[in-house]
Amino acid sequence: MTERHSRRGLRKIAPALTLIAPVQLMVGLMIFVPVLFIAWLSLNDSTFGRQTEFVGLRNYAQVLGDPFFWKALWNTVIVVLIVVHLEMLLGLAVALLFASGVPLRPVMLAIVLAPYAVSEITAVVIWRYLFDMDVGIATQAMSAIGLPPLEWAINPMHGLFLIALLSIWLHLPFTFIILYAARLAIPKELYEAARVDGAEPWQNFMRITLPLLVPAILIAMLFRYIFAFRLFSEVWLLTGGGPARQTEVLAVYLYLEAFRYNAFGEAAATGWLMVVASLLLALWYLRSLYKQMFASHA
Amino acid sequence: MIVISSFKMDRDIFTIPPKFIFSPTLSNYVGLWQRWGDFFDALLNSLIITSAATVLAVVSSVMAGYAYSRFRHPLLAGSAFFLVFIRLIPPIVITLPLFPAVNTLGLNDTHLLLIILYATFFVSLGTLVMRTFIDQIPRELDEAAHIDGATRSQILRRVIFPLSAQGMVAVAVFVIVFSWNEFLFAFIFTTTQAKTAPLVLAEMYDSVEGVEWGVLFAASTLQLIPVLIFVIAAQKYLVAGLTAGATKG
Repeated sequence: MTERHSRRGLRKIAPALTLIAPVQLMVGLMIFVPVLFIAWLSLNDSTFGRQTEFVGLRNYAQVLGDPFFWKALWNTVIVVLIVVHLEMLLGLAVALLFASGVPLRPVMLAIVLAPYAVSEITAVVIWRYLFDMDVGIATQAMSAIGLPPLEWAINPMHGLFLIALLSIWLHLPFTFIILYAARLAIPKELYEAARVDGAEPWQNFMRITLPLLVPAILIAMLFRYIFAFRLFSEVWLLTGGGPARQTEVLAVYLYLEAFRYNAFGEAAATGWLMVVASLLLALWYLRSLYKQMFASHA
Repeated sequence: MIVISSFKMDRDIFTIPPKFIFSPTLSNYVGLWQRWGDFFDALLNSLIITSAATVLAVVSSVMAGYAYSRFRHPLLAGSAFFLVFIRLIPPIVITLPLFPAVNTLGLNDTHLLLIILYATFFVSLGTLVMRTFIDQIPRELDEAAHIDGATRSQILRRVIFPLSAQGMVAVAVFVIVFSWNEFLFAFIFTTTQAKTAPLVLAEMYDSVEGVEWGVLFAASTLQLIPVLIFVIAAQKYLVAGLTAGATKG
């Protein structure tokens, strides 16, 4: 493209640039600039009221040498793996159930969507009430059928499990809607043709439904990986990362480093590691998006 | 369940099996009013912040969605890519550098800051959703208006806004639910003036003298019911918006 052409092109899209300005300004100033600043901050030693000092990769070394960081990373991985995969299976099951017809569809749909309206704190209140270690209804029910109680406030693994349950419940509407919409988009003719050929329900699922849902499943999973990875409120409100920092996830670790221990350098290093991890998770998606967006300009 | 329990006396809340027949009481709501008066201020804050963030996010998303739908240029493709890319960054990461900046500007604990933050975190999705909706409006309509002598802003207001109303509602649903319930930013950036309802709920939940379940349930009910009704009423738009945003973006 020559200089003159691009100038003329720019003048032609001037109104478009004005129209996207507010959105780009907000996102640039509130997200992009801070992230660049984080990258810089992660290479400096800094806390309240002290001059920052360039320390190279020392913050990263410190974070990577901190057993609590590894604990938090490990917890995050466990919770993300449980939440995303269970949620996907559950979402798929409910979506297929709805597609095959449920009685009282509007009411059922409202029930499935309801958690979307619930704030994290209310979700924590509900689940804590159910699983109150002494008198909660779920705890009582579990002991009635001979299960040991979920000691979420004492046993870190139980705590993480309750966090995972809560998270799945809270985000199921998202997964469900994407899978349900994708399922409804599958042409009925395919199933009719299969019926003529004498296909069993299981064959229908394996040969038609599942293959055609794969793109939607991948998109939903990708988004859920990225969003579950930043998990903060549920953990913070339910266990606060305790007991003894055993249920911290990365976002909680970052928060504590920054706002409780005033270790901005280490917190920034953690933050930058989280950004890089999120982008790596999304690499495949970003690449296909990039190709698609620039396809018309090739 | 929360709702039912909010009308129970404390001693009835944990009975097994749960009591469905009980004499309802408003004592929890009275207790909430007397001991947690700031909860009602917080509800008002939530209302102000949510409405303003919604208007800001919807208007800027429509404008950007229109631009991305009607214009083609590598620069625009690049900026659209940037919008999606930026959404992948975990919100907690940006609290760290924003915190001192916000303090310096005196924006800490203001409504304005939360309004801008909430809108910012939804304009990416909002723009994608609006673009999908506006793509479905035939270009001939704005061309015809153009020939009739309408200016760009008239076309936006008279043609695009009315025809993409469905999409605008879809975006609004997302922003409303998100802003109404958001915890992290409110937790970090507010202390008293701009405190939102979820934050006061968290304080009640954390209160030292043990949780007062009845009062907590009353407050949760007040916070939950409006948006719950809203989500159920707007579920059609929720589905439309999510499909437009996630499968096409």
